[in-house]
Amino acid sequence: MTDTLFGIENMTVEVPTRRLLDDITLLLPAGQVIALIGHNGSGKSTLLKVLARQIPATGRITFEQRELRDWASRDYARRLAFLPQTTPPAEGMTVRELVALGRYPWHGALGRFGPADHAAVARALQECGVADFADRLVDTLSGGERQRAWLAMMIAQEAGTLLLDEPISALDIAHQVEVLALVRRMCHAQNRSAVIVLHEVNMAARFCDHIVALKGGRLAMQGSPADLMRPEALQAIYGLPMQVLTRPDGQPVAIPA
Amino acid sequence: MSRSIRIWLPLAVLLAFGLWWLAAIRLLPLADWPALPFRPDGMSLQQILLAFGLMPRGVIALLAGAALGLSGAILQAVLRNPVADPTTLGISSGAQLTLVLATIIAPGLLEAGRWPVAMTGAGLAAGLVLLIGAQRAFAPVTMVIAGMLVGMTASAIATAVTLAQGQYLLSLVIWNGGALVQQDWSGVRSLALVLVLGGLGAALLARPLRVLSLGAEGAAGLGMNVALVRLAAAALAVWIAACVSAELGLIAFVGLAAPALVRTMGARGIGPLLALSPLVGALILSVCDGLVLTVAGATGEMFPTGALTGLIGGPLLIWLLPRLRGSTPPGTERAEGPAPHLARPRHVLLGLLMLLIAAALVLVWIGRVPGGWTVLDWASFNAFLPLRLPRLIAAASAGAALALAGALLQRLTANPLASPEVLGVSGGASLGYAAIAFALTAPTAAALSTGAMTGAALSLALVAAFVSHRDMPAERVLLAGIAVSALASSVLLAIMATGSPQAWMILAWLSGSSSAIGMSGALPLLALALAVWGIAMAMRRWLATLPLGAGVAGGLGLPLRLARLSLIGLAGIATGAATMLVGPLSFVGLMAPHLARRIGLARAADHVTGAALIGAILMLTADFGARMAGFPYELPLGLFASLIGAPWLIWLMTRSRT
Repeated sequence: MTDTLFGIENMTVEVPTRRLLDDITLLLPAGQVIALIGHNGSGKSTLLKVLARQIPATGRITFEQRELRDWASRDYARRLAFLPQTTPPAEGMTVRELVALGRYPWHGALGRFGPADHAAVARALQECGVADFADRLVDTLSGGERQRAWLAMMIAQEAGTLLLDEPISALDIAHQVEVLALVRRMCHAQNRSAVIVLHEVNMAARFCDHIVALKGGRLAMQGSPADLMRPEALQAIYGLPMQVLTRPDGQPVAIPA
Repeated sequence: MSRSIRIWLPLAVLLAFGLWWLAAIRLLPLADWPALPFRPDGMSLQQILLAFGLMPRGVIALLAGAALGLSGAILQAVLRNPVADPTTLGISSGAQLTLVLATIIAPGLLEAGRWPVAMTGAGLAAGLVLLIGAQRAFAPVTMVIAGMLVGMTASAIATAVTLAQGQYLLSLVIWNGGALVQQDWSGVRSLALVLVLGGLGAALLARPLRVLSLGAEGAAGLGMNVALVRLAAAALAVWIAACVSAELGLIAFVGLAAPALVRTMGARGIGPLLALSPLVGALILSVCDGLVLTVAGATGEMFPTGALTGLIGGPLLIWLLPRLRGSTPPGTERAEGPAPHLARPRHVLLGLLMLLIAAALVLVWIGRVPGGWTVLDWASFNAFLPLRLPRLIAAASAGAALALAGALLQRLTANPLASPEVLGVSGGASLGYAAIAFALTAPTAAALSTGAMTGAALSLALVAAFVSHRDMPAERVLLAGIAVSALASSVLLAIMATGSPQAWMILAWLSGSSSAIGMSGALPLLALALAVWGIAMAMRRWLATLPLGAGVAGGLGLPLRLARLSLIGLAGIATGAATMLVGPLSFVGLMAPHLARRIGLARAADHVTGAALIGAILMLTADFGARMAGFPYELPLGLFASLIGAPWLIWLMTRSRT
């Protein structure tokens, strides 16, 4: 068993009329690509936002063996980068400027934007394939290009852990594969961790090492992709009969039965 | 939602009715009340006063409040801005301006009543705003800025004329305050008709507005003609507000407060908002009028009710704000088009700096003499320099400071309506100034400055208390500042209505002047403006990240609370210092950042620097205009700043970008 990235004990999130997450206890392993899946409204995004410290929760949550609230905000941002589901309009900002914002946790409000920062920005632009339109305005890009620009900002943050909320929802199939492959490569080659909210079960099974499934605010299952890709497991999660086929190369593929 | 509404609304109804009832009973015991239908010929004087004065007054308070609440709710929905209200589109200011002009130039026009004149002005102002808006498919941000510009320019002219013509216009000042005194039932009849028609229109628009809340793209995707719906909704809201304004005068704040209060009570969605806002608006205005009646019973009629709405609504809004759930951030929409972005902003900034220096040099050198213009020779230049230099420095520094405050606030809140004024700092400063002006028999300049400074500091502390709440969205900070401003302007209007000498002194200060400034005041202000600019430069990364919202900024490890507090504090200090010296000229703070933005200064550092330079140039030129146009008399500084800046910004906004 690898190190623990997040330790979650009895976590509950409530809004006035509803309990979004109900008493979740969970260990997320470090150094892996973790998929958060579940039906709409199952609490995936809420869980991710709690981990990103965007919303408060009760219970005990640790990140790298330290309680979430004990982290200073810039230290936390150096260790962990978060991409929200809907990205706000970046009025009048070029892609390069947006990506450069990702360096904030490193240089802070006053620090010099040094060679290391420039290099990180250039690398992020390259890795996410947005170097060609680095000087275009973010708001003039297509949906997929914009999503990759935001992803590049997150990459430039050079955090050991990436939290991505549906990062591929606006991408075409080629870019979906590309982005997930990029995240997977970065995690495995540079020993980073990623927690990704995904809708696409097959993408989750193919690119992620560890699956966490939520249902109605509770933990439904966690395990390897192989544990997920079973008709019973899928039906338990989504409440829909599913069939699992096997591709010639041995990859399982789930389709609604 | 339902619980607080169930508790508070009946209480407010009881209070409003109780206050009116007390006034009515005081006028005439119940046993003597006239029977229906009312026939004036058979009545005593007291009965007539009740049947044709107090009764229609009670009803018209309800009707006008409801109409304003409805108008505000529609405007906030269509402009997608929680701080929009009927004054946002310049309606009231337009009505005020035509009334002022008609009184002076053609008093005959007023024989048929104020209604037609005021309607013309309101219609012209709104028409101008809609015309500008039409260039951008009535996109909210464009409309809101255009409305503010038209409104500010109109009220600057109106104030200037009022000042120039002095005592004749006192009745207009009272009209501005919105007195609810009635002589018959005609006002009730016309406003009832307006409310019925407006209500029908709002009911028809409810569904399109709900669709529009998806954003222009989503709405267009559902097959809606977005521009048409926006035009219809804005026109309806303008018409309702203009009718109230023409009938009763400028009743401020109800249109903003009623929908905001409804939302703090938890109403969601367009339907409840449109349905409940008129109710709450009616109650606010009725309670205010009830209080005015009570006070009038004790001391005689003194204050126009419209002036007091802020007095009740302001604290109420401040108290309820922490309960406001969910926010409607001003939507940025595709229709606005991508804002320009200069590749080489340095050149533009350098050009602006040169322009500032050149303007300063030229304006020192040339002047007006009886009979014409002259360029000073060396001897008189030396003689004039000590006189002119302090005001030039003061005007430029004040402009820069206000523009910096505006730029910081607009970036912090991501709301194009944010200006130093909405911090409430100017309002607080004005109150402090007024307090000193009334408290001391012969107040010195130092005492007045101290008063203004204390007032500004207090209101800043109040707004900062809001910011320091965890997770307090920018919208609520703006609303808190506006509540403070409304409170302040209520008191000021009430003071104006007394027509005392102090009132004129305050009015003159409000419209701005740099004439009384010596080097000892100018240099510290310059130092302060430079310091604020320097600190803003140090915070440029916060300023770049904050418009992306709390989610992204927090994710990058930005200390949100500290950033908000320090930016609000910085903007407050800049506003306070500038206000102290030249009066509350906050529209420089609104315009200059927009101008900088529209000429393509997009990066945070460039934007802030450009705004400061433009603010300085605007005020420098305005100061020159104020000195020269009415030579040898001085005109209000604010008038010229509006007259120079507003057309420029309107031109930039309507220019097609290709």
